[in-house]
Amino acid sequence: MKKQRNLDVLIVGGGSFGTALATLLAGTGKAFEMWVRREELAEEINTRHTNSRYASGHTLSEGIRATTNLAAAVKRAPVILMAVPSKSFREVARAVGDSIQGDQILVHTTKGFEIETFKRMSVILREETCTLKTGVFSGPNLAGEIMAGHPAGATVASHYDEVIHAIQDLFLGSGRIRVYGGHDVVGTEVGSAFKNIIALAAGVSDGMGFGNNTKSLLLTRGLSEMARVGVALGADVFTFGGLTGVGDLMCTCASPLSRNHQVGERLAKGETLDDVLNSMTQVAEGVPTTKAMQRYADSVGLDLPIVRAVHRLLFEDWKVADALVQLMHLPVGDELATLRYR
Amino acid sequence: MREHDKERVLVEVAHRVFDHYTKDPRTTERALFDTLYEERIRLETENDRSKAKKQAAFYRKIRREALQASPTRQAELLKQVIEAFAEEVAGHFDPRVFALATRVAPPALSALLNALSPLRLLAAIPTGMATLDDQIVIEGETEAFKAAARMGTTVLVSTHLSNLDSIILGYALYRLGLPPYTYGAGLNLFSNKMIGFFMHNLGAYKVDRQKNAEVYKHVLKTYAGCTMELGYHNMFFPGGTRSRSGAVEKKLKMGLLGMGLDAYVHNLCNKKPRPDVFVVPCTLNYQLVLEAETLIGDYLQAVGKSRYIIEDDEFSKPKRVVDFVSKLFSLDSRIHMVLSKPLDVFGNEVDEQGNSLDHRGRIVDRTRYVFQNGAPAFDAQRDQEYTRELARTISNAFHRDTMIKPTHLVAYSILDWLWGRCPGMDFYRVLRTGGPEESVPMTEAYSRVDRILGTLRNLEQGNRLRLDDSLRRKDTGAIVADALAHLKSYHRRPALVRRGDRLFHVDRNLLLYYHNRLTGFGLPTWEKPQ
Repeated sequence: MKKQRNLDVLIVGGGSFGTALATLLAGTGKAFEMWVRREELAEEINTRHTNSRYASGHTLSEGIRATTNLAAAVKRAPVILMAVPSKSFREVARAVGDSIQGDQILVHTTKGFEIETFKRMSVILREETCTLKTGVFSGPNLAGEIMAGHPAGATVASHYDEVIHAIQDLFLGSGRIRVYGGHDVVGTEVGSAFKNIIALAAGVSDGMGFGNNTKSLLLTRGLSEMARVGVALGADVFTFGGLTGVGDLMCTCASPLSRNHQVGERLAKGETLDDVLNSMTQVAEGVPTTKAMQRYADSVGLDLPIVRAVHRLLFEDWKVADALVQLMHLPVGDELATLRYR
Repeated sequence: MREHDKERVLVEVAHRVFDHYTKDPRTTERALFDTLYEERIRLETENDRSKAKKQAAFYRKIRREALQASPTRQAELLKQVIEAFAEEVAGHFDPRVFALATRVAPPALSALLNALSPLRLLAAIPTGMATLDDQIVIEGETEAFKAAARMGTTVLVSTHLSNLDSIILGYALYRLGLPPYTYGAGLNLFSNKMIGFFMHNLGAYKVDRQKNAEVYKHVLKTYAGCTMELGYHNMFFPGGTRSRSGAVEKKLKMGLLGMGLDAYVHNLCNKKPRPDVFVVPCTLNYQLVLEAETLIGDYLQAVGKSRYIIEDDEFSKPKRVVDFVSKLFSLDSRIHMVLSKPLDVFGNEVDEQGNSLDHRGRIVDRTRYVFQNGAPAFDAQRDQEYTRELARTISNAFHRDTMIKPTHLVAYSILDWLWGRCPGMDFYRVLRTGGPEESVPMTEAYSRVDRILGTLRNLEQGNRLRLDDSLRRKDTGAIVADALAHLKSYHRRPALVRRGDRLFHVDRNLLLYYHNRLTGFGLPTWEKPQ
C-alpha cells in the first residue's frame, strides 16, 4: 500500500455544511479530506464529484476527496473540523477520540445542544476525546450560499490562541470567508444553537404572512433571550452582538434557505411537525434545541417567552394564533432590563 | 535536598528569573524600579527594625545607582536583587539537618503531639484513641499516590483550612512512607519556635507574604518549578491561603499550579529519564477548625467592608501551635485526609501504571499535548489554558473528596432554617441579631437535618462528595448530639446550644463558617439574604 501523504485538515461529516467547508478549502490549496459514514457517498464524491443528497445541484471540486476510514484519516490530520449534527455528535466524537492525540486541534461547527443533557458540543468533545485544544467555528453561513461562492464571515472561538490561528490560517487563502477569532466558547455555542429557535419563530411569522415589523420584533426580543441564556451559562454578553449572535440570527431568520425557517413556515401553514420533519432530508436543529432549551429554562427558572411559545407550537399542540395572542399580551417592562441587571 | 542540588537550584532560579525580565530594557527597568518601590513600602512597616534598616540600606544603594545606570547596568542591579530574593527563599535550608530531620522529626512530632494532650483527657479517651495514628485517618487513593511518587515527581495540592494543615500533611507523608515534601511556608511559621524547627527541616522554603514585588513572586514560583524538575516532590495549597469563608476552594491560584507543567516541559526538552510530574489533590477534613472564629470574622469584614459591624475586638488571635494541637486533640474527633486520584499536569487521571487516561478510560500519550512540529515546546498562552484545565479538575476533586461531618450538616440545616425565617432581611443583620426567632424547636431541627442528610446521601451515591462515617450510619438524633458536643466544646462561644427541646443559635458567624463547607454542592437552599 502506498504511504498516504499527510493532511492539513480533515473534515468529519459529509452533510451540507461539511461539503460547504470542503468547497471553501478546495480553493485554498490545503491538503484535506472528508470523512463520510456511507461508502456510497464517498464513492459519489470521489468519482462523480457530487453530493446529491446534501448539496444537490452543485458540482464539487475535483480536489475534494472522501474517505470512510475515520481512524486512519484522524491520524493524518493536525486539524480536525467536525461537521456532524448534534444527534450523532457524541458517537462520532467518541470514534474520533479513539485515534486523536493531544497535539491535534479539534473544532466543531455544530449548532445545537445535546438534547438529553443540555451539554454544549465542546463539553462533549472534552468528554469523548483526550484533546484539550478544541474550539467552535460558527457564523452566518448558509451552506447553499457558500457553495455558490458568496462572500461570508465566521468566528472561531477557542480558549487556545493556537486553535484560533490554525483555523484562520486554513481559510486564509479562500478569499471567500473572513474568519474572526474569539475566546468566548460558551457564548458562541449558545448563540449558534439558540438562533435556530428564533429562526423557527421567524418562519412561523413568515408563514402567517406577517411583514418586517413582526420579524424585527421577534429577532430583537429573541436576541435578548439568547443573551439571557448565554449570560446564565457564563458567556460574555458582547458575543451576542457578533457574527455568531445577531449575525447568525439575521441570516437564518431572513433566509428561506434555512431549514429551521422552513419548519416554522410550514407549521404556520397548518402542517403537523411530524409531516414536516418526515419530508425533510436534513436535520432542523431548532426542533430538538427548543426542547432542550425549555427544559433548561424551567430547571433554572429563566423566563424565555419566545422559546416557550415555540415549544408550545412544536410539542404542546398549541395553535399559532393562540401562541401569538399569548406572546402579545405578556406584561411589558424596561426593554433592556434583563441585560442591564445581569 | 542534596547539597549540590541546592546550589544548582539557586543558580538556575536566578538565571531564569533574570532571563524573564531582561528580554527588553523597558521590562528590566520597570521590574527593577517596581521592586524597589514595593520593597520600600514593605520596609516602612517591617517590625524587625534592625533587619529593615539593613535591607533598606541595600535597596538605597541599588536605587541611587539605578537612576543613572545604563540598561546593561540596570540589568546587573536587578540580578543582585533577584539573587538576594533567591538566597532568602532557599538559603536557610541545611541539607544535613534535613537528612537527620527526615528520620527523626516525624516520630518526635508524634511524641510531642501526644505529650501535649492533657492527661486528664487522655484518661477519658478510650484506649487506643490517644495516638496520632488514630487521630489522623488517611483514605482514598493512597496506593495510587505512592505509585505516582515512585514513577515521577508528585505535587500534593491540598484544601486549606488551618495552620495545622501543613503539619498534618507532613505527618501523613511520613506515615505513607514518603520523603518530606518541598513546601513554601509563611515567615510567621518559621518564627514560631516549635513549628519553625520542623518547617526548616522538612523541606520548607521561606515565603514572605509581605513581599508584594512581582519579581519576588516570580522567584518563588521558579524555585518550586526548579525543585520539581530535580525530582523533589512538592506540596502546596492552591487556594493560596486558608479558606476564609470555610467553603471548599473553587478559585485556585494559577501561578504555582502552572509550575508542574513548566517542569514537565523542561524535563521533556532535556530528555530526562523520569520527566513526569503528577498532581495529587487531597482534602483535609475537620469537625472543628481551630481558627474558625478568626477566619470567618476576616471573611465577613472583607466581604461586607464597612457594613459589617465588629461587636467584639477580642477575637482570639490564632493561638500558638501548641494551643491548637492540644485543644483539637482533646476532642474525640478524627481528622480525615482524603487523597484523590493522581492527575497529569493537563488534568487527566493517571492509573497505577502511570498511564494518563481520558474520560473514557483510553490511554493517552501525554507528551503529545506539548508537541509542536514534532518536538516538545513551550507556548505561554496554551500552557496557561492547560493549567486552567488542571485547576478545574483539582477543584472538582476537592469537592468530590470533601468529607462532610456532623458540624457542617447541622450548621447548614440551622442557618438555612434561619434564613427562611428572615425574608428580605439584610444578611449582616441576620448574622448579628439572628432575626425574630432566637431558637429552633428540636423537632424542626431534626426534620431539617434529616431532609438535608437525605440529599447528602444521594450526593454521595452520585460521587459528588463524601460523608463522614457517622453520617452514613448514625440516626439524626445522634448526629445532632455529636455536632452540638463539638460546637460547644472548643469555641469561645458555642455556635448552637440546646436548652430543653429548643436549639438556640448563639454565634451565627460560626454557624455560617461551618455551613459554608456545604456550599458549592448545589444543595437546595432558601434565598440567601443580600
